[in-house]
Amino acid sequence: MGLNGRTVLERQSGKRVARSRVALVLSAGMLATLGGVVSGSVATAQAARVPAVSGGALVVGDTSSVQKLDPDVVTNFLDFQALALIYDQLVQYNAKLQLVPDLATKWTYSNGNKLLTFQLRQGVTFDDGTTFTSANVVASLDRALAPKTGDASASFLANVKKIVATGPYTVQFQMSTPDSSVLDGLTSVNLSMLSTKAITAGTLAKTPDGTGPFAFSSWSPDNSFVMKANPSYWGGKVSLGSVKIETIPSEQSIASAVEANTVQIGLLTEPQIATHLPSPIVGQKVLDLTYRALMLQDKTGPLANVDNRLAIACAVNRKDVLNEAVFGAGQVVGPVPLGVFASPVSAVCPTPNIAMAKSYLQKAGDPNGFSFTALTSTDLDPTSAAQATVMQSELAQAGITMHPENIAGDAYIQDWLKGKFQAAFAWNGADPDPYTMYGRYFGAGANLGVPAGYSSPVLQKLLAQGDTASSPATRKAIWTQFSNALTSNAVWIWLFTAYDYAAVTSSVHGFKLAPTNSTSLASLRSTTLS
Amino acid sequence: MARRLLSMLVTLFGVAVIIFLVLRLLPGNAVTAQLGVSAGLLSHAQLVALNHYYGVGEPFFQQFGSWLGSMFTGNLGVSLSSRTSVASLVGAALPITLELALVSMIIGELIGVLFGVFGSLKPGRLVDSVGQGASVVGLGIPSFVIGTGLVTFLASQFHYFPSSEGFVSITRDPWLNLQQIFFPALTLGLGIGAAMMRTTRAAMLEVIGLNYARTARGKGLSKRVVTWKHLFLGALVPVTTMSGIQLGYLLGGTVVVEEIFVLPGLGRLLITSINERDFPVVQSVTLIFAAGFIIVNMLTDVLYTVIDPRTRS
Repeated sequence: MGLNGRTVLERQSGKRVARSRVALVLSAGMLATLGGVVSGSVATAQAARVPAVSGGALVVGDTSSVQKLDPDVVTNFLDFQALALIYDQLVQYNAKLQLVPDLATKWTYSNGNKLLTFQLRQGVTFDDGTTFTSANVVASLDRALAPKTGDASASFLANVKKIVATGPYTVQFQMSTPDSSVLDGLTSVNLSMLSTKAITAGTLAKTPDGTGPFAFSSWSPDNSFVMKANPSYWGGKVSLGSVKIETIPSEQSIASAVEANTVQIGLLTEPQIATHLPSPIVGQKVLDLTYRALMLQDKTGPLANVDNRLAIACAVNRKDVLNEAVFGAGQVVGPVPLGVFASPVSAVCPTPNIAMAKSYLQKAGDPNGFSFTALTSTDLDPTSAAQATVMQSELAQAGITMHPENIAGDAYIQDWLKGKFQAAFAWNGADPDPYTMYGRYFGAGANLGVPAGYSSPVLQKLLAQGDTASSPATRKAIWTQFSNALTSNAVWIWLFTAYDYAAVTSSVHGFKLAPTNSTSLASLRSTTLS
Repeated sequence: MARRLLSMLVTLFGVAVIIFLVLRLLPGNAVTAQLGVSAGLLSHAQLVALNHYYGVGEPFFQQFGSWLGSMFTGNLGVSLSSRTSVASLVGAALPITLELALVSMIIGELIGVLFGVFGSLKPGRLVDSVGQGASVVGLGIPSFVIGTGLVTFLASQFHYFPSSEGFVSITRDPWLNLQQIFFPALTLGLGIGAAMMRTTRAAMLEVIGLNYARTARGKGLSKRVVTWKHLFLGALVPVTTMSGIQLGYLLGGTVVVEEIFVLPGLGRLLITSINERDFPVVQSVTLIFAAGFIIVNMLTDVLYTVIDPRTRS
């Protein structure tokens, strides 16, 4: 009994000890997290009661991360967005995609539009304390044009022969041919105004030094990028004390972080997440300045025949492609999707017309249809496979067989650059200025003439006319003609533009997502936080 | 021991050669990875300058030699993307992955061993059924589903998502650090716990009817002593093997959970670097994963000799 009694006692005691040890460890973890959960809820509730004040630290969540700091070499959207808050350009686009002054207060064309003179803003200082003058314009653009810099936007200045400072606050661009689109190019963050001191010191890749509303504070590659308000900003007092861009690799996690109020603005692209945000989170949306198109190589095979291409244009239901690819969250567009030169969807078959598609096939001598292969890369555009699937079934109704081929992102880029495809689902950058958008594809000696897959003297002539004309009305007429020339020859099949989204907490006031990708966060300069 | 170390070095060299060659076989390079299709906009002079900057087109042997040299000097080379030393990037990310792996292992071992041991003592009873059911769930539901579910639930119900505030180290703020690590570790720990539970239960059931166990019970030892000092010790070899395997995989397998829970660990660094074709970072991180796996395996072998004296010979 004694033995039994001891054993039972020991067993019970052992159980208690074991249980209490396990319980201790588990409860430590649970307590820590429950404590955090409760304090998180309380903090959020308290934050909701705080009135709007000047200053404050705002956190922006994005799936991407700031990858480079040198504005001349950045290519990533988020790099553009972040550095656009630190650097200014000579001119900029407003929310209506109209050109407005930035560090240039006004500009005039003369000498047959071959001389462009800028008057510069006075009283502007860089973060390093030096003053902005015409010398900075010359030094900045000379740096962008130097081959060793590797600035992809240097091509926007291809017609600029020389940049001359004619006074401390006046600068002239001498051009080889009249060039209206140079102003559009100058809005790029790649052509930002830089501090001469920073250029000479070679510090721009590590320490951004601009004249914008925010100044660089810290950068943790792949994690976060922090800016603080620029106290000497020429555009007036900046309300926010600091802006931190936090990398959160999944959009679902961004939405959760906004709900937890650890992130106040979440940048999203997936409509299924952005359209299901709980109250009081405010969802903002803006049409993205990019477009989806089926690019065609029009020089060999069945796609060399314009009637076969027109048959594709007529058989496609663009609205269905939009619905399937991005749940209808976007807009069917033509070659110039947005801005003052926005074009109609298509001069031929703006809506699907299978009978017309069949008649084009008849005319092409392919009454039973034809087949072709279309590249997609879900690495580069996750929606491309869905676009291809819908289009495949639509083309089949007209007797056209499309074979989608999904390949890795890098393989796609290599094939695309070499024009090694019959058709390719592409997600291309758009621009308010059609010359900037298409001069690179269809202009004389275009850099991207090979992947464009089509060249025509008519398009080259219209591009040159549109670029040299200065009257807005004349330009509008030329660009409409240009768009019609593209769609009536079914050079490519333009599909749609999708929305970009922002999930914004109720503590953020005055923030408005802008339509240009690079300046979508521009309104942070006047945003306040409660 | 010397032979083991030599074999480890040879294996690592082999891994280094394979990583190096495989990365070079992939289409594209750092220039196209950085610029995408915009690489086509570069003039010839710009392209030449950028190729030189990123070391594209340098002879293979020169690239390999330069990387190996940087491994020996300890700075692991320079990241092509951020132009910072790979050692500093790894130095920031490695402790996070190690901490996550360690806490996940603790949670997994606790869940797995406890359910495995107590389930094996009373097969078919409540504890065993709960453990078996939980293990099916743990093995059947991928960690990204559990992780996403946890994040969504806590954020929507409690406005709580501590790791989205930006990671803080345990030395800077232990309280916040614990909150940031606990849930991702729990997500990973559930999967580990499921595997550990099955292994522990099977190993325990194997030894539970053996003569030495019967003898121990016959001597009148308490159930606790029999269970933990005799049965569990006897079942410890397969449990240790499974723990070693789990830890090895965990060092390289935290990628998805790091993404969901916003932890800037090695997995996330590797994914970002692969996307950017940042070869020096990819090579170094992969080699660190391989080294970690080899070291864990070596330690597991050493543990065998401690647990089971028969293996010492």
